[in-house]
Order: sequence, then C-alpha cells, then structure tokens
Amino acid sequence: MGKEIIPAAEKSLNLIRGRLCDPSYVFRPLSASSDSNYSKLKFIVSTSITEGCNNSILLLGPRGSGKAAVLDLVAGDLLEEFPDSVSLIRLNGLLHSDDNCAFKEIARQLCMEHHLLFSKMASLDENSQFIVAMLRECGLAHKTIIFVLDEFDMFAQGKQRLLYSLLDAMQSVTSQAVVIGISSRLDADQLLEKRVRSRFSHRKILFLPPSREEFDGLLEHLLSLPADSSFPNGYVSRFNEKIKNITSDTRFKDILRTLFNANSTVNSLLKFIFRAVSLMNLESGLLSLENFKAALSSMQRQPKLEAVRDCSILELYLLVCMRRLEVKEQSAYNIISVMKEYKTIHDSFQTSDYYAQNVCLRAFEHLRERQVICYTENRGQSQTGEYRPMKLLISASELHQGMRSHACCPAILLKLLDH
Amino acid sequence: MPAIAGPSSSPQKHVVGSRLEVTGGLRSAEVNTCRKRKLRSDSAAEVSSSTPVNSISTPMKWKSPRRCAVSIPKTADEEIKEDSNGNLASPVISAVKNLSVCLDVESKWNPRDEEQMKAVKEALHVSKAPSTVVCREDEQRRVSEFVKSCMEQNKAGSLYICGCPGTGKSLSMEKVRQQADDWAKQAGLPCSETVSVNCTSLTKTTDIFSKILGKNESGSKANGSSSPLQQLQSLFSQKQQQSSSKMMLIIADEMDYLITRDRGVLHELFMLTTLPFSRCILIGVANAIDLADRFLPKLKSLNCKPLVVTFRAYSKEQILRILQERLVALPYVAFQSNALEICARKVSAASGDMRKALCVCRSALEILEIEARGSIDQEPQGPVPECQVVKMDHMLAALSKTFKSPVVDTIQSLPQHQQIIVCSAAKAFRGSKKDRTIAELNKLYLEICKSSTITPAGITEFTNMCTVLNDQGILKLSQARDEKLRRVSLRVDEADITFALKEIRFFRNCLL
Repeated sequence: MGKEIIPAAEKSLNLIRGRLCDPSYVFRPLSASSDSNYSKLKFIVSTSITEGCNNSILLLGPRGSGKAAVLDLVAGDLLEEFPDSVSLIRLNGLLHSDDNCAFKEIARQLCMEHHLLFSKMASLDENSQFIVAMLRECGLAHKTIIFVLDEFDMFAQGKQRLLYSLLDAMQSVTSQAVVIGISSRLDADQLLEKRVRSRFSHRKILFLPPSREEFDGLLEHLLSLPADSSFPNGYVSRFNEKIKNITSDTRFKDILRTLFNANSTVNSLLKFIFRAVSLMNLESGLLSLENFKAALSSMQRQPKLEAVRDCSILELYLLVCMRRLEVKEQSAYNIISVMKEYKTIHDSFQTSDYYAQNVCLRAFEHLRERQVICYTENRGQSQTGEYRPMKLLISASELHQGMRSHACCPAILLKLLDH
Repeated sequence: MPAIAGPSSSPQKHVVGSRLEVTGGLRSAEVNTCRKRKLRSDSAAEVSSSTPVNSISTPMKWKSPRRCAVSIPKTADEEIKEDSNGNLASPVISAVKNLSVCLDVESKWNPRDEEQMKAVKEALHVSKAPSTVVCREDEQRRVSEFVKSCMEQNKAGSLYICGCPGTGKSLSMEKVRQQADDWAKQAGLPCSETVSVNCTSLTKTTDIFSKILGKNESGSKANGSSSPLQQLQSLFSQKQQQSSSKMMLIIADEMDYLITRDRGVLHELFMLTTLPFSRCILIGVANAIDLADRFLPKLKSLNCKPLVVTFRAYSKEQILRILQERLVALPYVAFQSNALEICARKVSAASGDMRKALCVCRSALEILEIEARGSIDQEPQGPVPECQVVKMDHMLAALSKTFKSPVVDTIQSLPQHQQIIVCSAAKAFRGSKKDRTIAELNKLYLEICKSSTITPAGITEFTNMCTVLNDQGILKLSQARDEKLRRVSLRVDEADITFALKEIRFFRNCLL
C-alpha cells in the first residue's frame, strides 16, 4: 500500500501546485456569476467592440486581488470570440512612463500585430503620427484596438501626454479603441489633469476581496482532485473526504480568520494554500490540519521574536538590563552602564549567572550581529569601543513575548522585566 | 479596405437633411417600412435576427444603421401628417410630443433590441458631433463675426477662447471653420486656409511655427538659414505680390502647452498678428480664463490684446436641452424626462461638463440593458413587457457609480488589522499634527488592539500593512533610511473613514 500511494501523492501535489500557479484556473469560479467583475468588464468591452464605439475603464483594487488575471481571462475570451477584430496593446507604467518610450512601444506592438516593419530610429512625432493613422485605418476596418495600461497611476505623472493623446483620439468618430487602466491607487482618476479627466469616461470596476462563501467555494475548487483514471480510485475519494473534514473544522476557520485579518486578497490565500500543500505528508498522501497551521505560522513570522527566542541566558540578561535602563529614563546608555546595571542585579538578587567582562562583550557582539541592538547614530562625537551609545531595536512587548516563549528563561528575568 | 467616402460627413448630411425636411431616400424608406412592419409584429424576439440591416456584414452597408435611425423621422413626420391634423409648429418639439403620443402606433422602444440600443448609444456618444451646436449660438456667433470681419477687411486679428473642459470649445471651432469656408465661398472671397494644431502633439514648442509654415504653399520649406519663425515674420513684413492674398486661419488647441518659462513662443505667436502685412487670424483655445492677462502683457501695451470669448460651464437647462436634442432624432423615447432632468441637475452642480452628462446617460442605458437581458433569462419567449425606459432609479444608480469614490467601499472591505490602522491614523491626525512616524502610529495601533483584546501584529507585519495602504492611496509613506522613522500622513478625509466604519460598533467607539 505504501509504495502505491507515493507516486499518486506526488502527482496530486504537482496537480494542485500547478493549479495554484495558473491564474485563469483560480479565477474561473470567482468569475462565474453574472454580477462578478469579470462579467462587468466583458460586457463593457464586448459592447464597445460590437457597437464600434470608444470606451475607457479603470480597474481598481489592492495588489493581488486579481485585476490582471481577470483582464487576461476577458482578453482571452474576446480574442476567441472576435478573432479578427481585436488587437491588444499592453503597456506598463513602470517601464513606459516616459512619453518617448510609450509611443515607441505602442508603435512596435502595432507593427508586430499587423506585420509591418518597425524602425527603431523613428522619432516621437513619426511614432505618434503612425499611431493616429493606424487608429484611423483600424476604425475604417472595424477593428478595435484595446490598450491595456498597467500601473496606470505611473502614467499620470508629468505632462500626461500619452493619456491625453490616447483619450483625445477616442473622442473622434474615426477611431475604435478601448483604454483599460489597471491601478492599485483608489484615487487614480484624481491624479489626472482636468482635461484628461474630462475625456475619461469614469467607469471604474472595484476589485474587493471575495466573500466568505466565495472563499469556501474557491478552496473546494482548488483542492479537490478530479475523479479521472490517472489516480487510483480510493485515493481520490479519501483525499476529497479529508479536505471536506478539514474545511468544516472550526480550528481551520480560526486559522483562516487570522489570515484574513491581516491580508484578505486572493493572492495571500493562494500563497497560504501553496505552503500548506507543499508540507503534505507524502507517505500518506493526504493533507492535514497541521499543514495549514504550519503554513500560517510560516507566513506570519516575527523575526525579532525568533531572534530573542534563540538568545542565550547571558544575552537575555543584557537585554533586560538595557530595558531597565530605558525604563529609568536613561535614553543613552552604553556597554559600561549596562555592565553596571548587570552588576547591580547580580548583587541584589545573587543570581548564579555572572560572567566576566570579555564574555559579555562577545555577547554584545552577537546581539549586534542579529540586529537586536545597535549603536545609535551620533554625529560629531566619535566615541569608540565601550563608550558608544546603544539602543534596543525591539520593543518591550516583543522582548516580553520572546522571553516567555524562550525554552529555558529564568523566572527572575521576567520578574526583573516587569518592574 | 473599401473606400468609404467621408464616413464622418455622411451621417451629418443626413441629419441636416431631416432638419430641412427634405423628403427623399426612398431606398432607406423601404428598409424602414419593412423594419417597422416586423417591429409592429408581436414576436419581438425575431426582430434582431431577421432584419435586413443585421444580416449585412460588409463595411459599406455597415453605415446604414445610422442612416436608417436618422431618416426615420421623415416617414414618422409623414405618418403624423396622415394620422393627425398635423399642426407642426416647430418640428423638434412637436415631434417629441407626437412621438410619445404615437408610441403605440410607432415602433416601440424595446431595450432588448440590439439595433435600437446601438442607435441610442451612438446618439449619446461623445464622439458623435451633432449638426447644430445648441446652447452655444451666442459664442459661436461672436467668433464667426470676428472671423468674418477679419476676412472682409483683410486684416489680421487674434482671439482667445477659454472655458472648462467639456464645454464645447473644440466642437464650436469646427463649426466656425466650416461656416467660414461656406461664407467665404458665398461672398466670393478666396477661401482661407486653415491650420488646426493641437499643441500637445508638438515635441518642441517652436514646432508650431513649422507646422504653420508647412501649410503655406508660397514659402519654400527647404530654407536652412532661417528658422520657421523668422520665415513667417519675414513673410508677414513684406507686401505680398499677389493682390488677392489668402487669409490664414490658425486654430491652436490646448494653447497652454506652449507656455514656456520665458513665454517666448506664445508671445511670438500672437505678435505675428501685429506685423504690418500679416494675414493670419489666430484663435487660441485653452482652459485658463486669465491666460491672456497673465502671459501676454506685452500685447496690451501694443494695443492688440486678443478678444476673449468665455465658454461658461453648462447650466442645468442647457444640459437638458442638449440631451433632448440628441435624442429627438430617434423615433422612440428611451429616457423618462425626469431621469434626464436629474442627470442634468447633478452634472451641472458638479462641473458643467457635457462629456460627463453623456457618459452618465450611457451608463444608465447599460444598466437598463443588463436588467432587460436579465429578464430574458427568466422568460425567453414571453411578450415584451410594457415600455422599459430609463427611469429615475437607473439614472440614480448610474450617477452614484460615476460620482462615488471607491474609498468608502474599499475601507469597508479592508481586513480587520488594516481597518484598525486606518482608524488609529484618523485619530492621530485629528489635531494640528499632520504627519507622524510609523513608530508613533504603531503605538496608537497597539493601544487600540489592547483595549479590545485583539492580538496585534508585529512591527514587520505592521509596516507591510502600512505599505499596502500606501499603495492604495489611503496613507502616504515617506522614504527614510530607518524603517521606523518613515513619516506617515493620511490621504483620505476623516469624514470618509467615519462614514465607512460607522456600521461597526467597535470602530464607532474608537473614533469617538
């Protein structure tokens, strides 16, 4: 039994991971309803194509909410439906925000689409005249050009010449174009100049995070294996059964809630599932709740906390001393004052951990390397060695939490920290 | 690609034709009547598939939907004359009244009919220029009088047109140009040549002079010694050999792109009209009302300040009239009158921008279309319900979609921790202090979390969430070397935040 499952387990792992990396697969169930952003976008663009009128739309939403994925879905569908009457031009605000670059890129893509020769030596004027002429010709031939402007807010810097020329060209009857802007800034259209904003048609599609029911549906869609012959029969049913058990468990719902309280985009959910699936036990070939728990903790790491958790006892003493000095309103302390505090503690509490100066200096170096403490910046004063002021890079609560989850922190330290 | 003779001019000619009530176009009348017969039949579902217009696929006949939609009123008027006693006082207004009366007799407005929907959307599209520009007659008259007087007296002159975007400036300039040509032909004067330049398309501001020269046949372009500006100046300073010289009409759109630091180009351009033998009529179009005063003081001293014509933003009545003009050409009533009124009122209160009004109307049409299509899925073969026109609620939905900012929706759908961050930012920036460091914001955030026993996120996660909010334009983060010293400020109004989060009691208490 053991040897049989393993290849199937690997195959299912690959299948699920492949699904998670394919945006069109992921966004299909979210786009199924007629009220979804996919259908709204498709309706607007397809009516523009069939009626031959110009339009402009903005897709807004936080990063990772699927704007580019849904647009790719719509573009794919439209290229299938209207094979000869649509051409797609893509620009990215990070690459082509300069007008020269942008016009050149549009001209190059138009040349590629229509099998013309593109000359790199063409000037800005020639490129813009070419674009205007192409728009006119395509308008006469009833071919719609779809301009996709990614990172739309980057195009709204400077003189906005590209935006003005595109939107102005769409004001005339002779051209047939659709301009789709994608941006994560909600006020992207407020960044436009008033002339450009007047020509823009103010259609916005907002990409909000999906609801809980949609997320549940999405989970099932991504994680359930298809019942086809490439998998052994009993394995598929066992796998899907296990998934159903996990997703209906309240602890799993708690995990999801913690995840969504920090980041509720589709992208973060996909990352979470990817990590969980990668931790799948290949012996049994089934997922378990522990996988998801481990995935969550790997996603919500707190590096400083882990640094404190790995400190030695001496280093913890030194950190507590620094914290006490801070509490006593001594804003600038250096190694000498920390050592003094350390000695005071040792004297008053008779602790057994007392180390010599050079050992402590090495402990300080360790802490500095791990970036738990650092030297403060001070200009004009060049003090060296032990007189340089230091400061803590972690907050009191982080220190407290780290010490509480430390494997063998002495109780006296916690007491010292508290008052 | 087949040669289509003047695609932009043919629809206009036909509209002009219907205005003058020239009866004609038998071919289109035939198509109309057979279309109307089909439309009058009860099964509306057959219409979209079997009309001759739809089965045509070659681009030549593609233009016929426009012709059909536009020339229907001729037969409608004829029918009205046949049916009623027909006192057509003014064709426009009574056509609207009679159309609503004859709604049962005439072709019904069927939102499921793609042809009708397409025709209405085209009538409302920004790119479709109507034949007569209503509500701008006064301004147009002033401009054309100026141009005519210049052409009659063979004198140069300059004019500056200003107004907010979407007030019909470029549209009026097109009309003036055509009128000037027509008038010149009528008066027997030589037709003036027109140079229409959109200044955003110039790479260098001095290119405008070469564009003007390029149209001038008398100058030889390949003169390397002097710049285009000097050529123009020399041209205008000498008496022309030909006795009847042509006037040059220069229309410079978006003129503020010509403003450079030393304002040289703008000055030189207007100074061209002051040269002794200048024969150019310069019309500059821009948005700023005081451009002439601010940037052309020298001209005032030379006593040739340009004439200023202001295109005011449209008022509610004007917007309503323009919308009705556009829709009256269609034989069916697609909009309820109070829907149009509320659109006009809202847009005139906001900006007076005609493009926005047209956009809102088209958006309302689309909402109606989706609604009509939705009901198709439920009743595929049922009879057409009573006239589904665009009503108030469609228009209100379209208005809210256009004018509402997405901020409130986004804040409501943020994850909980990010909402707490937004809340703490709102509290932090309530007073006079307008920006704080991330560390201070973190302190406030921790306080709120502690007061409600929510486990706070660590500082790294907190900084990440602040970056996400910065990307979305809710917060503004500055750059700094140390992560904790970056300064944060709020980009969104506090009122918006309070409004968005008022449903949740926890935040309501927080923001108190």
